[in-house]
Amino acid sequence: MILEVRGLSKSFGGLVAIKDLDLSVSKGEIVGLIGPNGSGKTTFFNVVSGVYKPEKGIIAFDGKDIAGLKPHRICQLGVARTFQLTKPFTQMTTLQNAMIGRMYGSEPVYGMRQAMEECEGILEFVGLGEKRSTSASNLGIVERKRMEIARALATKPKLLLLDEMMSGLTPTEMEEALRLVKAIADSGVTLIVVEHVMKAILDISSKLIVLNYGEKIAEGDPQDVVKNPKVIEAYLGE
Amino acid sequence: MTTAKRLLINAGIIVLLILMPLIIKRSDIITWFYLTLLYIISSHSWNIIGGFAGQQNLGHAAFFGAGALAARYIWLHFGLPLPLALLGGAVVATAFAMIIGFPAFRLKGIYFVIGTLVLAEILRLVFDTILPRADVMPMSLLATYSLVSRYYVTLLFAVLTVGVVYWISRSRLGLGLMSLREDEEAAEASGVNTRKYKLVAFAVSTFIAGLAGGLYAYYGVAIKPGGVFEPVWTFDAVIIVFVGGVGTIVGPIIGSVFFVLLQQFLSVYLPGGIHVAVFGVLFIIVVLFLPGGLIELVTRLRGNFARGGQTN
Amino acid sequence: MIELVAQTFVNGINIGALYGLVAVGLSLTFGVMKILNIAHGEFLMVGGYFGFWLFTLLGLDPLYGLPLVAVAVFLLGAGFYKLVFSGLARLHEETKVKNSLLVGFGLFLIFPQISRMLWTSDEQAITPAYSGGSFPILGVRCGYVPLCALVMAVVIILGLHLLLTKTYFGKSIRGTTENWKSAKLMGINVERTYLITFALGTALAGIAGVLVAMTQTISPDIGMSWTLKALIVVVLAGIGSVGGAFFAGIILGVVEAVSAIFIGPYTVALGLVIFLLILMFRPQGLFGKA
Repeated sequence: MILEVRGLSKSFGGLVAIKDLDLSVSKGEIVGLIGPNGSGKTTFFNVVSGVYKPEKGIIAFDGKDIAGLKPHRICQLGVARTFQLTKPFTQMTTLQNAMIGRMYGSEPVYGMRQAMEECEGILEFVGLGEKRSTSASNLGIVERKRMEIARALATKPKLLLLDEMMSGLTPTEMEEALRLVKAIADSGVTLIVVEHVMKAILDISSKLIVLNYGEKIAEGDPQDVVKNPKVIEAYLGE
Repeated sequence: MTTAKRLLINAGIIVLLILMPLIIKRSDIITWFYLTLLYIISSHSWNIIGGFAGQQNLGHAAFFGAGALAARYIWLHFGLPLPLALLGGAVVATAFAMIIGFPAFRLKGIYFVIGTLVLAEILRLVFDTILPRADVMPMSLLATYSLVSRYYVTLLFAVLTVGVVYWISRSRLGLGLMSLREDEEAAEASGVNTRKYKLVAFAVSTFIAGLAGGLYAYYGVAIKPGGVFEPVWTFDAVIIVFVGGVGTIVGPIIGSVFFVLLQQFLSVYLPGGIHVAVFGVLFIIVVLFLPGGLIELVTRLRGNFARGGQTN
Repeated sequence: MIELVAQTFVNGINIGALYGLVAVGLSLTFGVMKILNIAHGEFLMVGGYFGFWLFTLLGLDPLYGLPLVAVAVFLLGAGFYKLVFSGLARLHEETKVKNSLLVGFGLFLIFPQISRMLWTSDEQAITPAYSGGSFPILGVRCGYVPLCALVMAVVIILGLHLLLTKTYFGKSIRGTTENWKSAKLMGINVERTYLITFALGTALAGIAGVLVAMTQTISPDIGMSWTLKALIVVVLAGIGSVGGAFFAGIILGVVEAVSAIFIGPYTVALGLVIFLLILMFRPQGLFGKA
């Protein structure tokens, strides 16, 4: 169990975003996290990655409770994430963006040259090798998503949280993205993927977890979960 | 430009600057050079926190002033040698910054900006009230006052300052500071301890600012204690950095030269403080239309596109 | 003794009303557009000088001149908004805030110099014939002028309140504050709302400027200290609480007047210290939402 969440609760003012959530992810899995809009998926990512502090609950990552730790600390422990709306460092080059991850991530490196070399490799891996000297502000949206992933991978995570990376992609781009996700999993990184594009998530996930109004309503094999009446009702109701 | 060529040009400039007072004997021109160097130090110190790390510290004068007063007292009133006084001034400024910085950086964006502005104001008001009279150099020192030695000391620190900023810009630290400027949330998510690095940038920035203050205290014959906390010290530095090119190495240098030249030029032809208004207009133009300052202007004319550490 | 306290209170309320008036203008602008106009105090200074001009050149009693000054500063504010701030209004919030601060700072450099050219560095005041007079209420001396200023300030605030709650324009301001995108979808002209709000804010500062010229003195450099004063009050009240800004102003005025008895010349510094403490420990202010 690389990630074990017990009794997680998070509210904003009076609004309950996550309610008493239990969830577990095994090492090497690709877990799909789905649910209608507002079901708490991104909030869950934000809580796990440390952006928000939960009111209750344990988030055990690799045996250590990370609930309430600062985001940079959680990253250094091995949890990386991407953002739904990409957050590039626009006035730096693609390579420099990745270097931040490498130099400050979970196995920080202090030498510029080493960071540069290794990040060039990471950029190749995500398909941005030729864009390494391009300013991030000049990248197209697909390239920005890749750069975000490269930066996250550069932190050498054990667990990677991908937040809606398929949104706005053409079918061809989606195929490439899926291949990349599989390659990341093959390299030993456990993944939790939030997605709205059903086809994509059914394709890659080994397990599906469904949230609705901040609670888990279904969990299990993707093909079974999508046929679950509670799940169908949740989506139709939206 | 190759590294060797660049090194040669830089060395050449420094040699010229060293030789300058031996060739030009006019004290007003030497004063111009001195002021330019002082501004280079002060503006680059702001560049570290405001240009690289993106934290708009509008209380710069507070630390310049703290350094100035501390150095002045250590040197003139306790009679310790100058290097100790300068160091003391810088340390006082930094210590003060760390005390303030801890709570200040808990303030979000705009509150931090205003908070630092207010802090400098408080210091100015307090010192204006408790030490309203100017601190004047004793006759013994006035008799041996040497503008040229002050010029050389300031030149030394200017070169050191530019060197430090240059080193930072090409280091892991520099990249980390820039990530703070770009997107704090993304920086945190990538493992950057934003709180710690803001404090680091602040410490380095205020240390150098305190140094600049000390150099000014060494230069000034009569100094009003409240005067070193005046907003003009913040604003001059900020304007220079922006007009020259925020977050660059050469920017504040060009900005300082431009600023002093314009200041001397305009104050001759224009009445009163109009040159300040001119800077205000220039400043607004830069903020709205040319955020990269003069450097961006030059870069655009040359057709480059990538910014950040690469082109420096 | 009780007379001293009462007198202090009255003085505090008088000046506090001015603080409140200036703060309301700033709060309006910041609340609606998230633009913090550091040059707010400069418009106060200009308004004061406009009133001074009307008084010394045309012999117009400042209280009659108020509406003219209000209109003049309104137009001036609108002009500057169009010129330098309008491009920023729809930027992403962080950049907008940063850039508007810088632009305001640029204006802060320009205004005092221009006013120095037009009116010299001398301190000026508007002193109509009834200036020195006062009458006693329950043993407390109420100066005619400060009383007028207080009354004016209250009237204007009430008028503003009516404007914001009862008129279509007021509703469009509130709609735009909530969410400018939805406001636009509902047919509100967001651009124009911003323009008018900004101009209104500066006009309020200008009016306060005339009152300041009547109760104190003005000079080209007073802008920044009034901006800081307005800032303190806005933060004290809580960002977003426009009405609260007026009351917070009065509170600050009274606190300052009372502490002046004990710490004299450090009073202004005290105000700033209070400001910093609030920023750090209760950033939502007294009346604001967290």
